[in-house]
Amino acid sequence: MPRSLYFFPAGFVFIFFVAACRPTHVDHPPGYLVAAIESYPLQLDPRYSTDANGVRIGNLIYNSLLRADPQSRLQPELAESLRLLDERTYDIELRRDVTFHNGQPLTAADVKFTYESILDPNNRSPKRGNLRPLRAVEQIGPYQLRFHLFAAHSPFIEQLTIGIVPVASAVNPTAPGQVPPGSGPFMLEAAESGEKITLTRNPHYWEESPPLSGVVFRTVPDALVRVLEFKKGNIDLMQNDIEPDMVPWLEKNIGADVGAYPGTTFQYIGINLMHPILKQVKVRRALAYAIDRESLVRHILKGTGTVAAGVLSPLNWAYEDNVEHWPYDPERAKQLLDEAGFPDPDGDGPLPRFRLSFKTTNIDLRQRIAEAIKEQLERVGIELDIRSYEWAAFYSDIKKGSFHLYSLAWVGILDPDILFQLFHSSSVPPAGDNRGRYANPELDRLLEAGRATTNHEVRRQIYARAQRILAEDLPYVPLWWWKNVVVKKSTVQNFIPYPDGEMISLKKARLATTVP
Amino acid sequence: MKRYLLYRAALLLPTIFGVLTLVFLLIHLIPGDPVDIMLGETASAADRQELRQVLGLNQPLLVQYRSFIINLLRGDLGQSLYERRSVTSIVRARYPATLELALCAMIAALVISFPLAVCAAVRRGSWTDRTTLTVSLLGLSMPNFWLGPLAMIIFSIQLGWLPVSGRGGPDHLVLPALTLGLGMAAILIRILRTNLLRVMSEDYVQTARAKGLSERSVWLKHALRNALLSLVTIVSLQFGGLLAGSLITETIFSWPGLGRMTVQAIEMRDYPLVQGCVLVISLSYVFLNFVTDIIYKWVDPRISYGN
Repeated sequence: MPRSLYFFPAGFVFIFFVAACRPTHVDHPPGYLVAAIESYPLQLDPRYSTDANGVRIGNLIYNSLLRADPQSRLQPELAESLRLLDERTYDIELRRDVTFHNGQPLTAADVKFTYESILDPNNRSPKRGNLRPLRAVEQIGPYQLRFHLFAAHSPFIEQLTIGIVPVASAVNPTAPGQVPPGSGPFMLEAAESGEKITLTRNPHYWEESPPLSGVVFRTVPDALVRVLEFKKGNIDLMQNDIEPDMVPWLEKNIGADVGAYPGTTFQYIGINLMHPILKQVKVRRALAYAIDRESLVRHILKGTGTVAAGVLSPLNWAYEDNVEHWPYDPERAKQLLDEAGFPDPDGDGPLPRFRLSFKTTNIDLRQRIAEAIKEQLERVGIELDIRSYEWAAFYSDIKKGSFHLYSLAWVGILDPDILFQLFHSSSVPPAGDNRGRYANPELDRLLEAGRATTNHEVRRQIYARAQRILAEDLPYVPLWWWKNVVVKKSTVQNFIPYPDGEMISLKKARLATTVP
Repeated sequence: MKRYLLYRAALLLPTIFGVLTLVFLLIHLIPGDPVDIMLGETASAADRQELRQVLGLNQPLLVQYRSFIINLLRGDLGQSLYERRSVTSIVRARYPATLELALCAMIAALVISFPLAVCAAVRRGSWTDRTTLTVSLLGLSMPNFWLGPLAMIIFSIQLGWLPVSGRGGPDHLVLPALTLGLGMAAILIRILRTNLLRVMSEDYVQTARAKGLSERSVWLKHALRNALLSLVTIVSLQFGGLLAGSLITETIFSWPGLGRMTVQAIEMRDYPLVQGCVLVISLSYVFLNFVTDIIYKWVDPRISYGN
């Protein structure tokens, strides 16, 4: 009896395998491109979506008045023309050939409805705060609109990139995957909770119908498994969310089409300027000198970043290159720390000049970066105590100002007015994101002037000066701008990566049947 | 028996109530504010205050707790803060995946462990026993985050027999169910083997042998049945854990179950969704307890629930 029992488990596993081993079924028709995403989108309705995947997929379903191009410049989309009557009033003429996926024409009433729906406090839209400068949206014709602002606020134009939904769209979805129809190049075909989102081509799209039959966004949370799925041929395209370590391997072993493109996501070290040691500018400069960013980018990021000098990347129209740069120079860092009154108590011995805490999230890569920075700062006599937290606890702490140093990234930077939110003295949380409590009256004046004028050249000069001040004062130690890493099969053609990771170029992408 | 089950049901209600109260307090008291996460970076203090009011988060904790319980009694678990859908519909969409994986993993664990444990016990000290113990030690030592990708590389990439990840036909279930099941099987093998060996030294087994019963009868009718009791307890506990979702296995195999969603909801401080998930998990445990009690009675007729 026992002998036969012994073979039973092996038999079971064998039968389990045999029963299951059949060609993996393809659950989408041919002509669909499969893209892997790290997390399932929380929301596709453009009035509420703020998570990266929700916004990116939503942008394929919905059109907006304006849309950023691959160079991050805003271009008309639904708006045929945009005219400034004065600095507080925008007149917009809509295209007349646009229809929603349900065949209903897209008119000024829909645009007015979308913006008013966001402004209604009962709808709990996270985008309501962005529309604070907006006083009213007036419909002056079936295809004509007038946006009234409370005061001149040039960065408001960025808010014209919100997707438009039809009048009377429900506030909340009543069934999974139910979202209002859009007017974009793709229509929502199916949403399987936690698994995948399937979009199908809009055959009546007003620009031109997309060459792809559709796009499947498959949720594959684990980075290694995304790579294995790609190797197996189940995935055509991955953008970002790829472990830097895997990039060289993918290029060598799979023959994937791997590209790293300049991006705008800015990684930095935030500094608490209320801290008695860190409020000294010499200490902050010493930190900047002591961190070997080139080496971090080369060894930990495997080249998927570009050493940064400030918040705005070279892709931004307001970028200023003529600012103070802080190359790796540990000797200069030690000298500055001595001058600041923090001599090393025992030379090269184990005692540090001072100790600081460094907060980061519990993501593996972030922790590795923190460890490398700790090691580099130890070389100049600064001891770091790394504390990693899950996101909500980390975010709560840094908003409260409960940190010495922390590392985080800014994503999706478009208008240089972001500097107001980050460094104006009135932007201390909860009003804004000046978490380090930086205050500089000259910078305050510049940032106020920058948002109050719509003159492009004047703004450029203002923000150039602001960037020079920030590079000298260092309320942040800039680390790098992340590159957008795109891994795709060579059959995927015409996919253009956007600096902020947008995937809107899928509307022009195609799948070649043979490798070119 | 019926009376006992009713009595247990009456006792379990306060258990679920206690669990929900504890989770409500914990999720509200740990640092992190859903309003901050929902509104992102650009909202003003007034916006935040307004949203807190709309969501009722500005109320004292006791008032929030009272409305949570009242809504729960009405069968309303609320709406997810981010997905803006009813928690019931979200959980309903995810739970079948968790159930499917849990059942298959449990069946795999039982089918693998049961014969191996019996073989090992019957041939105690032999190479069969030693091999089984070594294999079970290996099973215990291999974490799922390692075993999962290894199985994928061998069976999906190298051999091309099975899909890498995702949920679909039965082929999608094989690797996640075996990954989860092997770890559990390793524990079950050791427990069942030890119990069998303990039972075999009991007087009634000697008596059964003395009566002239065949070795097969002694093992199956006398020893195995008595060794099963503690196994039922362990299996029910492990199965309960599986029904709460397996975070690591779900993540590795892109399995859209409850475990990963619960962890994400906690990270995002999606209070209603966390509470909904915990309710379902506690109900699963309650149900399993009932089933376990019934199985106890079947395994050991001496157990009486009459009084």
